[in-house]
Amino acid sequence: MLRFTLNRLLGAIPTLLILIAVAFFLIRMAPGGPFDSERQLPPEIEANLRAAYNLDAPLHQQFLRYLADLARGDFGPSFQYRDFTVTELIASGFPVSLRLGGLALLLALVLGVTAGTLAAMRQNRAPDYAVMAVSMTGISVPNFVMAPLLVLVFAVLLGWLPAGGLGDGGWRHLLLPVICLALPQVAYIARLTRGSMIEVLRSHFIRTARAQGLAMHTIVLRHALKPALLPVVSFLGPAAAGLITGSVVIEQIFGLPGLGRYFVQGALNRDYTLVMGVVVFYGALIILFNFLVDLLYGWLDPRVKA
Amino acid sequence: MHSHRLSLMGAVLAAALFTAGCGPAEQRTAVPIGGASGAELAERQVFRRGNGAEPETLDPHRATSVTAGNIARDLFEGLTEMTPDGSVKPAAAESWTISEDSLVYTFRLRSGARWSNGDPVTAGDWLFSLRRAVDPATLSDYAAILYPIEGARAIVAGEAAPDTLGVQALDEQTLEIRLAAPTPYFLGLLTHSMSYPVHPPSVERHGERYARAGNLVSNGAYQLTEWVVQSHIRAVRNPYYWNDAETVINEVWYYPIDNQDAELRRYRTGELDMTEKVSSRQVDWIQRNLADEFVISPYFGTYYYGLNVTRAPFQGNRELRLALSMAIDRDVITERISGTGEIPAYSWVPPIPGYTQQLPEWAGWTQAEREAEARRLFEQSGHAAESPLVLELIYNTDDNHRRLATAIASMWQEVLGVETRLSNQEWKVFLQTRRERRQTQVFRSGWIGDYLDAFTFTELLHSTYGLNDTGYASERYDELVDTAALEADPARRRALLEEAERVLIDDHPIIPLYFYVTARLVKPWVGGYVPNIMDQHYTKNLYILKH
Amino acid sequence: MSTTPLLEVSDLHVRFTTPAGPVQAVAGLSFSLSASETLAIVGESGSGKTQAALALLGLLADNGRASGSARLEGEELIGQPARVLNRVRGARIGMVFQDPMTSLNPFLTIGDQMGQVLARHRPMARAAARAECCRLLDAVGISAAARRLTQYPHELSGGMRQRVMIAAALLCRPALLIADEPTTALDVTVQAQILALLGELRREFATAVLLITHDLGIVAGTCERMLVMQRGALVEQGTVDQVYAEPAHPYTRRLLAAAPRLDAPRSAAVPLPADSRMLLAAEEVSVRFRLPPERLFSRARELQAVSEVSLTVAERETLGIVGESGCGKSTLARALLRLVEPAAGRVQFDGRELTALDRTQLKAARRDLQLVFQDPLAALDPRMTVRDIVAEPLRTFRPELRAAEVTAEVTKILEEVGLEAAHLYRYPHQFSGGQCQRIGIARALILRPKLLVCDEPVSALDVTIQSQIINLLRDLQERFGLTLLFIAHDLAVVREISHRVMVMYLGRVVELAPVERLYASPEHPYTRALLAAVPIPDPERERNRVRTPLAGEPPSAFAPPSGCAFRTRCPHAIERCAEERPALRDYRGALVACHLAGKLGEPGRG
Repeated sequence: MLRFTLNRLLGAIPTLLILIAVAFFLIRMAPGGPFDSERQLPPEIEANLRAAYNLDAPLHQQFLRYLADLARGDFGPSFQYRDFTVTELIASGFPVSLRLGGLALLLALVLGVTAGTLAAMRQNRAPDYAVMAVSMTGISVPNFVMAPLLVLVFAVLLGWLPAGGLGDGGWRHLLLPVICLALPQVAYIARLTRGSMIEVLRSHFIRTARAQGLAMHTIVLRHALKPALLPVVSFLGPAAAGLITGSVVIEQIFGLPGLGRYFVQGALNRDYTLVMGVVVFYGALIILFNFLVDLLYGWLDPRVKA
Repeated sequence: MHSHRLSLMGAVLAAALFTAGCGPAEQRTAVPIGGASGAELAERQVFRRGNGAEPETLDPHRATSVTAGNIARDLFEGLTEMTPDGSVKPAAAESWTISEDSLVYTFRLRSGARWSNGDPVTAGDWLFSLRRAVDPATLSDYAAILYPIEGARAIVAGEAAPDTLGVQALDEQTLEIRLAAPTPYFLGLLTHSMSYPVHPPSVERHGERYARAGNLVSNGAYQLTEWVVQSHIRAVRNPYYWNDAETVINEVWYYPIDNQDAELRRYRTGELDMTEKVSSRQVDWIQRNLADEFVISPYFGTYYYGLNVTRAPFQGNRELRLALSMAIDRDVITERISGTGEIPAYSWVPPIPGYTQQLPEWAGWTQAEREAEARRLFEQSGHAAESPLVLELIYNTDDNHRRLATAIASMWQEVLGVETRLSNQEWKVFLQTRRERRQTQVFRSGWIGDYLDAFTFTELLHSTYGLNDTGYASERYDELVDTAALEADPARRRALLEEAERVLIDDHPIIPLYFYVTARLVKPWVGGYVPNIMDQHYTKNLYILKH
Repeated sequence: MSTTPLLEVSDLHVRFTTPAGPVQAVAGLSFSLSASETLAIVGESGSGKTQAALALLGLLADNGRASGSARLEGEELIGQPARVLNRVRGARIGMVFQDPMTSLNPFLTIGDQMGQVLARHRPMARAAARAECCRLLDAVGISAAARRLTQYPHELSGGMRQRVMIAAALLCRPALLIADEPTTALDVTVQAQILALLGELRREFATAVLLITHDLGIVAGTCERMLVMQRGALVEQGTVDQVYAEPAHPYTRRLLAAAPRLDAPRSAAVPLPADSRMLLAAEEVSVRFRLPPERLFSRARELQAVSEVSLTVAERETLGIVGESGCGKSTLARALLRLVEPAAGRVQFDGRELTALDRTQLKAARRDLQLVFQDPLAALDPRMTVRDIVAEPLRTFRPELRAAEVTAEVTKILEEVGLEAAHLYRYPHQFSGGQCQRIGIARALILRPKLLVCDEPVSALDVTIQSQIINLLRDLQERFGLTLLFIAHDLAVVREISHRVMVMYLGRVVELAPVERLYASPEHPYTRALLAAVPIPDPERERNRVRTPLAGEPPSAFAPPSGCAFRTRCPHAIERCAEERPALRDYRGALVACHLAGKLGEPGRG
């Protein structure tokens, strides 16, 4: 187990390095630089800035220096937010994104699996059609349409919830963002669960369980749920990536101080270090998450048990 | 405490009494001042404003953005302050004298001025601050603002030590600033955040982290208490501010909301008292539903199209440039496209006090006349309608810019038969393309003045100025601008600048389209809000009415 | 025996609504079953035998509807809601399904799956339930029962899983056990064990058994009465002796005639010319597979699928290869064609060394080497017409042919395999299993190959169809001068067509002999056990057969036993068998890999 973990983590290093290299050179290939603005800096001032941020060195030296700093856990200073280091920004943004993403994932799983299971049990009947129709909407209506719509109804017209901001971080401020972020995933998970549940319910071992006189709820919960969840578990990796991309939009719309928002602002401002920091951090996170998913998979499926 | 209905006299008295009785850290219910007397104040004096993009820093010497300026204006106080009518009034300086040759300014600092931690603000602090502002180590993007001060340019370039700056603390309360050349707008420059003072011990202790909440010590009406990046910035009143007695609002929240639709939604739910902007797409709706809260006022900026005069077809072809400009119906643009009450622009410098706009003759014509002249000039320019000209128009990706570009392209098509290819680019890409001047033909641009003086516009098109993306280089124009820059006599200087603008409009390397306006929503309970051309609002002048 | 029957079925109908219209799966089935009686329902696929059983328990698919009556001890089952049926299912009627691999939940431990049945029908304390499960596992012959309860199905062998299924079905002492093809998915030696077990349990638990099967051999040995179904209808019923001795219905007669039996005289294989030259020769061929780790955290494993196999096949000869699943027979065939690369050894074909050919040469050589697969429908691309499927090899090897010529070639070969030109533009799903297999054969033969490798070509087919395909293959062999490599697990089928037979166990050849020699006097103990396990469709002979079913199941190929691989199950194993691997030696006309060859006496055959 220890060896496996170690192997996986070591195996992640090349992946991360490639990710870092690609991101590093891509963002630098983008036209424009961090200090370009409509009011051009006097050359002497720009030279001062470039020297201070090590931007005057040859690109490969900058890259090596970035790697060296990274190895020490130093993401460097943000070009855009002059008073903060990227590490500080990640430390302040990530808890928000984590809370948002974690709750959304949880909500997506609970709603998606429940809805998918109900639909599968009532296949081709009203509840099934309802779940499928709703989830089709969830998939096809993009976040940036859904979010303002929900805000308009629940915040502006009904006045039940705030229209944005983190406020005190309480549930009222998180409810709409979490729902918006979770909706597409709810939809995917519901469809996934429905499909796999239908398949599992048709499988021979479910016929066996029925022939043993087990009640339907026992069959679904004890016999069918675990195997039906396997595709959902496999989907968790892509779902997490989807949540991260989704959070970029959602945090922007709801004005939440999360990492996704830094990423967008960082990219627009050519804040090289901030963009790199978020990419590397999320990259490492996704690798870690996929590792956890593999462990979960092994735990769920005795055939690949560790 | 309940809200009060107070007379002016009573208010001042009550404030004085109350201040005497309270510790500096304690919050107090504010009292109305001046014109607000008689109105009922809200119990909670908390002001929440949308503030556009997240400020890059709150260090006044490193901040460049409008949004950082909005906050710095509350936290810090410069030697002078801009009044809504555009004149300069004493702020941290009680009074000043200017030498005969207009090169030496001597400021008498306000006695009893204190930092937000209680330390007195001394002339030495000002000296430290101005030196820091131009020190290359500070990495100040905006150091060029202070170039009028003697020695500043060399210090920024690293050619001289910061202590060679022409500033001296004559005593605890007297500050002397020597200029490199006469600068009539210098007092106005001192309202800019580059000239704000920083608290030397805090800067020395915290270095780069000086501007963080908890570290920042400032001399303005408010002090920074909380800064959650991308969430909010919170400032509370500074009990040591010299004029704290007249400050009404206890607490200010600045919310970074760069999406104007989101800002509008939060305004509508009452989470904001004031927006930074409104989206032009929402203007119709706002005018129908929130007309009373919609405040529009002129802003010191010009929206224009730049023409790359270093290359064909605009190189040496004044007729073509003028033809394109005259073919545009600016009334249609401002009424139907921008739609927020912008003012059609036929000249370069927006209307400001102390300067006469230099309108070309054709500004007074009817559009039909302009179009006829445009066709004539177009033909003269060697581009007959039979051999259609194809232009590329680049703009930074934005819905408003796109709509405007589309409209103008169709006007050019209709009047001159010019075909225009529209090309949008992401902001930083756009800036680089524009600057390189390689492929650019027509590009969108806008310019907001840094200080309330025509010169901030005039110098932009000087051939050596870094931001002159048109590549315009006129000896006559450069000479007029250079002369004006050194001219101490206001009347002569004004004449020089006005003549420069005439030269510019005649050469027409740019197509002015309209003068900007500030358009924002302000809740009816926000008192003391006075629109002004620099769009500078001091929270200390505002108050919240009972609602 | 009580006067009221245990189960009284009358006029049972099962209908399915399908997009193509209603399908009548069972039409007016009536029968009764007394307590403790053993009744077989026999029929080929599609006869409705399984649907009839599922209808009794209300387990039909969603689109199925049952009507008529089925009374269990006087209580009506048909049309009852799940609530009522759930008190019958698992409690009064236990059910064992065909495929133990898929019929147990792979995600739950054996203990969980059995415990749930008890919790549902016989609630008791945890410890008591555990004890009861252990008792039942003991009863079905599973050792270390307590440990098995914590294991998952994949940790058990196929035979064990079927035992677990049976144990779970008997947990509540049902009055009736329905076994639906309970041994079809099992190897013949394991089948013998399970059938013996069912017999014992029936006596021990006094349970009536309804056995559903297509295999007349099984019926003969285990049942008292039988029903024969054809296309949903009951065509004949009676005691087993009666039906076998004097089948009244023509269909029953056809079934009995088609069933290949080891005890019947063998219809002659195509005679082999005396001067036949060698076509295929393999020398010490071995195949190894590297498999991903079984567990997440262990190392990759290596599996020796075929070990040092040598063989020769003469022109026009049929070599049969038999063995239980996993013995390496299919892998060997693929290695001979270099469809998998042998790890060692040489293969010669038609005078050329196949193992030395490069890619292009090999491709050219493949023209003479064709394959016929087991599952006919799965082996055909469902989106291609029969013409295109059969013509596919022509596209590669005779691209010069024009479309009309291709069609002519295809028509010709279709007629050769008993299909018609009218079938040219149909799709595979429009054909029956037997017809699909004919299409597969036509595709293999269109290039007129010299060698045809048939990998279990008839094991997915009904018995009457099986004999047709065997006859077709024999016929084609004669007409085209084909050489056949015929791989099957069914010893009776192999006997029908082969000249020589090779028996494999765990990747090795244990015996290789001419067909008469092998079936008449098998030398290797494994060959003997295999033959002894094959049921014979004759009640009289089955009853008198002295049987000692082979214990256990083949060991894992990852860790083969030392010495003789068969020694762990061999009743005659001696010390030497563990120490020294027996070489393949000639013993009176048979090649045998056994230290005791010739010392075991006559095999005990029924």
